[in-house]
Amino acid sequence: MDIIELHGVRVGYGKKPLLPPIDLSLGPGAFLGVVGPNGSGKTTLIRTMIGLLAPVAGEVRYPRGPRPAFGYVPQKGDIDLSFPLTAVEIVLMGRYPRIGRGRRPAAADRAAALRALAEVGVADLAPHAFHELSGGQRQRVLLARALAGEPEVLVLDEPTTGMDLPAERALLDQIAQFAEKGIAVLMVSHQLAAVANYAHDLCIVDRERQAVEFGPVEQVLTPARLTQLYGRPVAVETTRGYTTVFVADPPAGDGSPCTRRTSGAYPAVKP
Amino acid sequence: MTDVGFFASYILWRDPMIVALLAASLCAFLGVFIVLKRVVFVSAALSQLSGVGVALFFWLASVIGLDAHHPPWFANPIWFALAFALGGSALFSLNLGHRRLAGESVIGLAYLCAASVVLVILNSPRIAQEAHEVNDLLYGNAVAVPPAQIIIMAVTAAVVFAVHAIFAKELMFVAFDPDMARTLGYRTKAWNLLLFLTIGGAISVATRAIGALPVFGFMIIPPAAALLLASRIRAVFALSVGIALASAALGYYVSFALSLPTGASMVLVAALFLVPGLANLARGGR
Repeated sequence: MDIIELHGVRVGYGKKPLLPPIDLSLGPGAFLGVVGPNGSGKTTLIRTMIGLLAPVAGEVRYPRGPRPAFGYVPQKGDIDLSFPLTAVEIVLMGRYPRIGRGRRPAAADRAAALRALAEVGVADLAPHAFHELSGGQRQRVLLARALAGEPEVLVLDEPTTGMDLPAERALLDQIAQFAEKGIAVLMVSHQLAAVANYAHDLCIVDRERQAVEFGPVEQVLTPARLTQLYGRPVAVETTRGYTTVFVADPPAGDGSPCTRRTSGAYPAVKP
Repeated sequence: MTDVGFFASYILWRDPMIVALLAASLCAFLGVFIVLKRVVFVSAALSQLSGVGVALFFWLASVIGLDAHHPPWFANPIWFALAFALGGSALFSLNLGHRRLAGESVIGLAYLCAASVVLVILNSPRIAQEAHEVNDLLYGNAVAVPPAQIIIMAVTAAVVFAVHAIFAKELMFVAFDPDMARTLGYRTKAWNLLLFLTIGGAISVATRAIGALPVFGFMIIPPAAALLLASRIRAVFALSVGIALASAALGYYVSFALSLPTGASMVLVAALFLVPGLANLARGGR
């Protein structure tokens, strides 16, 4: 049974829809990548899927119950670094619904928070102030917070922004492992190639062109569909198991060769 | 005035000191949220809104012929002050604001309008002759404190500290990351409302006890000084309250010894506690 279903959902703020109607579903162990240019409506779509925003039209259903357990990793800039909180205090927040209103975290909750930190490889950062951590470490702490609540759906909004390539790769590998364990993953990124190499399904949104494409990666990630979606010649290449996507500008007519603009690349080693 | 003179005249300053210490600790505790949420003018605006309630009470009393100096308990100006402060708190808890008009601007507008309304009412011919007395009631003077004021301040502090002790984790979570809190099923608007109601209630009562300037000062300066010095949230709360208590006591002594205005002396002493943190920043600290 699916965890989230969207039936003819139009997302937006107030009464103004940003995108055409969307039908999609997310089941256990699914890995859905939501991709599109900056300002295309990606974050609005996932905020609607997890109930932070009401849809302008259509219906968001949670067939398994009133509301799935969500683990949310917000965009890097959405976290206020002026709060003097330690990594473990932030991870404990993921346990709060289980602890109950007006009750203090028990030793078991602290242990669960430390386990979550260990699971993402940063157990040693538990007592460190969050604002003193590097961007990659902060993302891992926020991922640990999302995991500490034992979520059915892990929601990640641009989780690799500002990370260097190895850190990005390591984080995405880890997220893919959670999907293999049965957690549904919903990840937003403006980096098409980054998502394409990990997600099972893709939802490409483009507010400007009023376009939404949803389906398995191999169906959506074709040059023809991407070229139609972006209105420019787009090429997709797979090298040693890794996919790159790039805008293939036509020759300039001055004898210079065809140029390519990649949307992302990965070390040519597949685990 | 010598030290002996100050301590010998203990009976004169005991009650005002108790009220000042209670108000200072309460404001400094709540001020940590205000500074972290970057809504520092909320306390100034709520002081003024609470003042509108008091001024309106006197005006209404003059209109209906009620003795404003000996009103029945149910028509006390404190209820008017509380109602306006809590109403303003509820409004501010909604994070009013727009990309073309920031929430902080909305708070500033509320302050300006409320301050103007108070001035207009106080200059009304109906209560002009009572303006001085109303002003004292509005903004306190931290010198002459009736015994009932101590009880009201103590009860307010006890209730606010109790609410924050019970719901500490929820209030901090919603202030820190409201989006995550909402995804976990928290009613963030309700929690934010609770936080602002405690702030509004405290400001309303504290303003009448010690005055608008020290309340604004204690809401901002000790939390800011503590945030510059401490790196753990519990330490920030403790240090903020400690700085406020020390500032209130020392400020009162300075005021007594040098015949300076009490509220302003407290605020200036509190400002001295900013120096270590600012010096640390200047040295390139965190």
